[in-house]
Amino acid sequence: MRQRLRDPITGLLFVLPMLVLFLIFRIFPTLGAAGMSLTDWKISGEWSFVGADNYARLLDDPNFLASLRVTLVYVAVYVPLVVLAALGTALLLNAVVFMRGLFRGMLFLPYVTSFVLAGVVWKWIYEYNGLLNGLLAKADVAPVKFLEESSLVLPALALVSAWKGFGYSMLILLAGLKSIPGSYLEAARVDGANAWQRFRRIVLPLLRPALFFVLVIETITAFQTFDTIYVMTGGGPAKASYTLIYGIYDQGFKFFDFGYAATLGIVLFALVLVVSLIQRRLLDRGER
Amino acid sequence: MTERTGVLDRPGTGPAVRRAPARTSPRRPRGAVARRAALSVLLGLLALLTVSPFAAMFVVALSPAGKPTVPAAWPSSLTLDNVVRVVSASGFLTWTFNSLVYAVVSVVIILLTASMAGYAFAKKRFPGRDAMLWTFLATMMVPFQATLIPMFVLISDLGGVDTFWGLIVPTLANSQAVFLMRQFIRDLPDELFDAAKVDGAPEWVVYWRIVVPLTRPVLATLGVFVFLWHWNDFLWPLVIAQSDEMRTLTVGLTTLQTEEIQLSMLMASAAVSVVPCLLVFFVLQRYLVNSIAMTGLK
Repeated sequence: MRQRLRDPITGLLFVLPMLVLFLIFRIFPTLGAAGMSLTDWKISGEWSFVGADNYARLLDDPNFLASLRVTLVYVAVYVPLVVLAALGTALLLNAVVFMRGLFRGMLFLPYVTSFVLAGVVWKWIYEYNGLLNGLLAKADVAPVKFLEESSLVLPALALVSAWKGFGYSMLILLAGLKSIPGSYLEAARVDGANAWQRFRRIVLPLLRPALFFVLVIETITAFQTFDTIYVMTGGGPAKASYTLIYGIYDQGFKFFDFGYAATLGIVLFALVLVVSLIQRRLLDRGER
Repeated sequence: MTERTGVLDRPGTGPAVRRAPARTSPRRPRGAVARRAALSVLLGLLALLTVSPFAAMFVVALSPAGKPTVPAAWPSSLTLDNVVRVVSASGFLTWTFNSLVYAVVSVVIILLTASMAGYAFAKKRFPGRDAMLWTFLATMMVPFQATLIPMFVLISDLGGVDTFWGLIVPTLANSQAVFLMRQFIRDLPDELFDAAKVDGAPEWVVYWRIVVPLTRPVLATLGVFVFLWHWNDFLWPLVIAQSDEMRTLTVGLTTLQTEEIQLSMLMASAAVSVVPCLLVFFVLQRYLVNSIAMTGLK
């Protein structure tokens, strides 16, 4: 019957454009990254098979080992910062009625702009002669080298990304808060629970899935941070903000060592995968 | 890059409801009005703090050059000089045009291909459907940066460096878009499609006359997101659009920064580059906010 054949054929035809795009630009490069990591691919396109040499090189590469440490420190600073900012503002938005729409819009505004713009503006804010030091001077505080001090650069960068990105997580958490039935909170209030007890015993457990979602998304975002670092520090000072992604860009487009850069890409993929799976495990356990 | 990697679906709320510990003496909170007012003030201050970098940027962009580093909260004289000079500088309009092409073409093609694929995945049975869907989902886990090098080699071998197609085409394979469309179309009643079939309407008519009009809200939302993803995109344009004529605004901004440039000019450039985002924001804020809450689209 015509009708029975019609569905499979039209189905395939409708999927075809996206499927072709996927095969060529997602799946092929993914396999390609794994393949290239086993070669010494040069910019000329010449290559030879080198087995696991690139992976062995990772262990002896002080830049790589330092970049791993920088990446993990950055993630460890950024994630709590952005989640707390998102949670705090979401809780306030949920509690406040006065001009709520306006405030929500203002808090969400940085999210629609680019990390490059955030980097350009905040670089000026952080500069030695910049806005923040200008304000500090008015308060008689000595100028701070936010971006030139190894110990300050990662928190400074994390703050910029958190400022730019927290609006998204704030909205996710706000939606989670709104779905908590008011009657639960009212009952607890009648039973004499104070604000902290209500938050700790009712809001937090019910918000848990949304919090985990935000945690996973923000962790992955943190691992992928590149734009602000490129704009604001170029990996410096003295490689103090030289992350794994920055290493991929550096090896690929400064040293044109494509084989090794692809290997760093595989490491990034493995890291993101492992962290996602661990957090997924924790989430599943948490729900049980 | 546009693709967001992630393993989780949007969560609902959890099932666990725990009773708060009972207290013997129920009491209403005192000073509730004062507390509420304090919270409003706190929230307002945080909101002002959040937008203050933008305010500072606009004040510097609109102030005469050579002003002190800390912009006055209420500037005495405003001028469009910087903006005019930025816009009339040689590269800026080209970059803006390139960013517009990059964003708008991507929006059109992604909306078309993702809604077609979403329709097929939602309403058609065909061999390999579930395997394909799983593969699409699995690719979400691969960060774009992990495939940056092979992608660059592929495009450069195909002659796509410094071309619009080389810039645009690789960013079109977007699984988030496909999943969003599939989810939405799956909820449309089957009877609509059966009726059209009985009438003998060809499939492209069903797609164009039923799927597209009924998914208009989600298409609009997706369109806004795809526009922002591309307008704000940086790493891919940075490596693929190398000549000055092909640069996008984000890449162009970073080249301005490395030159000797007056702060007022840099901030004016930054301010102009953010105008489309602000327009989208002011016109469609409610829409954006609701769709993030409902779909988790990032």
